[in-house]
Amino acid sequence: MSRFWTHASAIARRDLTIEGRSGEVLSVVLPFAAVAVFVVPLSIDTLFVDLRSLAFPVYWLVSLLFGMQVALRQTGTETINQRRQLALAGVDPLSRFVGRSLAAAALIFSVTLFTLPMVILFYDPEPKPPLAATVVVILTFATGLSLLSTLAGDVTVGLRTRSALAPLIVAPLAVPLIIGGSRATEELARGRSSLTWIGLLIIVDLALAMVAVLAARPMEEATL
Amino acid sequence: MRRSILPLLALATAGIGFWLASTTAPDAVQGDYARIFHVHVPSSWIAFVAFGITAFGSLMWLWRRHQRWDRLAAGSAEIGVIFTAASLLTGALWGKPVWGTFWDWGDARLASTALMFFVYLGYLALRRATLDPVARAKRSAVLGMVAVVQVPLVYFSVNLWRSLHQTQTIRPDGASMGSEMIRAFLVNLLAFNVVYVALLVSRVRLAKEWERRDAREMATAGAAVTAPRLEPT
Repeated sequence: MSRFWTHASAIARRDLTIEGRSGEVLSVVLPFAAVAVFVVPLSIDTLFVDLRSLAFPVYWLVSLLFGMQVALRQTGTETINQRRQLALAGVDPLSRFVGRSLAAAALIFSVTLFTLPMVILFYDPEPKPPLAATVVVILTFATGLSLLSTLAGDVTVGLRTRSALAPLIVAPLAVPLIIGGSRATEELARGRSSLTWIGLLIIVDLALAMVAVLAARPMEEATL
Repeated sequence: MRRSILPLLALATAGIGFWLASTTAPDAVQGDYARIFHVHVPSSWIAFVAFGITAFGSLMWLWRRHQRWDRLAAGSAEIGVIFTAASLLTGALWGKPVWGTFWDWGDARLASTALMFFVYLGYLALRRATLDPVARAKRSAVLGMVAVVQVPLVYFSVNLWRSLHQTQTIRPDGASMGSEMIRAFLVNLLAFNVVYVALLVSRVRLAKEWERRDAREMATAGAAVTAPRLEPT
């Protein structure tokens, strides 16, 4: 078991190191997400549409779209040769999957956390949700999205249409995460309990983790 | 001769179903609009069955590694997508006169059915994108197993979330419609099932023929080019 986690953490470290060197998330995805948050108010007539009511829907939509982009980023894509090397080195496919998901979760969490103050600044939602509870919601959302995106990324690895196909697979399946995240934030902003919606996010995370446990080995075989 | 029995049976049951759906008395509240029920509900049912069969075929492929299971999963998914589209379309046409709108975002079943449709479009896109038949079977088997979680979500969405849809019409404690309407509905349900089986058998047979043709083309290309081995060794 310790070998499993040693491999998983080594793979997560490798992915984060690649990101540290390439800076794809920091220098491309984050500014792009910021532009998206900024462009929405320009595309509507703010005299007639209340921007405050759009704050959290826009926030969660941006989190989904750019979270996917983070998880499926070009520099984070393993080539088939890299996967073969890992398989030959005796790395369990599940520990490889867990490692990649952990790295993706950390990056998605950072991007969604960074977008939050921007949404609050530009959209000024009232009332605002408490920060600590919102961080918990973002963490559970990032975990689920990273699991789902890693799964879709693995299924589509090596395909020419991967950049369009993987989001097509992830986006409809990520809807429970979007619903959970957005409803939990709304309830928190209104000062009500959001345990039901955080519970939904945790259940989806657990279900995706179970799918990953069952699918990691056949998927490794499918894409080698 | 035997091959033509299933399509004929499908045509006959669909004809009887159509006749019964057209001749039953109009609904007391919705009038003739309610007749679309005989197409809408069986279409949704076939979509569920088809995606269930896709998951079953995917599971069996992962277990037995026989190409026939991949053909079954793929054929069933294609038919399922067509029936899901039919269900969405007939639902929208029915919704306009009855609810006053083609689409209502507050309805959980509408939204979840549309999502299921997109998930299986993704499944078919993945199949098209993967050229190698063995890799295609492996990748789509994994996705076929994951995507099926949508089916119970769509089915129980009317019980779990806010919905304009009524809950299940036929339940263990009785049915919420008249006996004449139930009879017509059951005949149509049977007809749609027969049509599904006929389409699936034809689709699987066609896929097998394509594989044979590909193998023949590979063989004529020279001894150095061989068709991929699909059967377990």
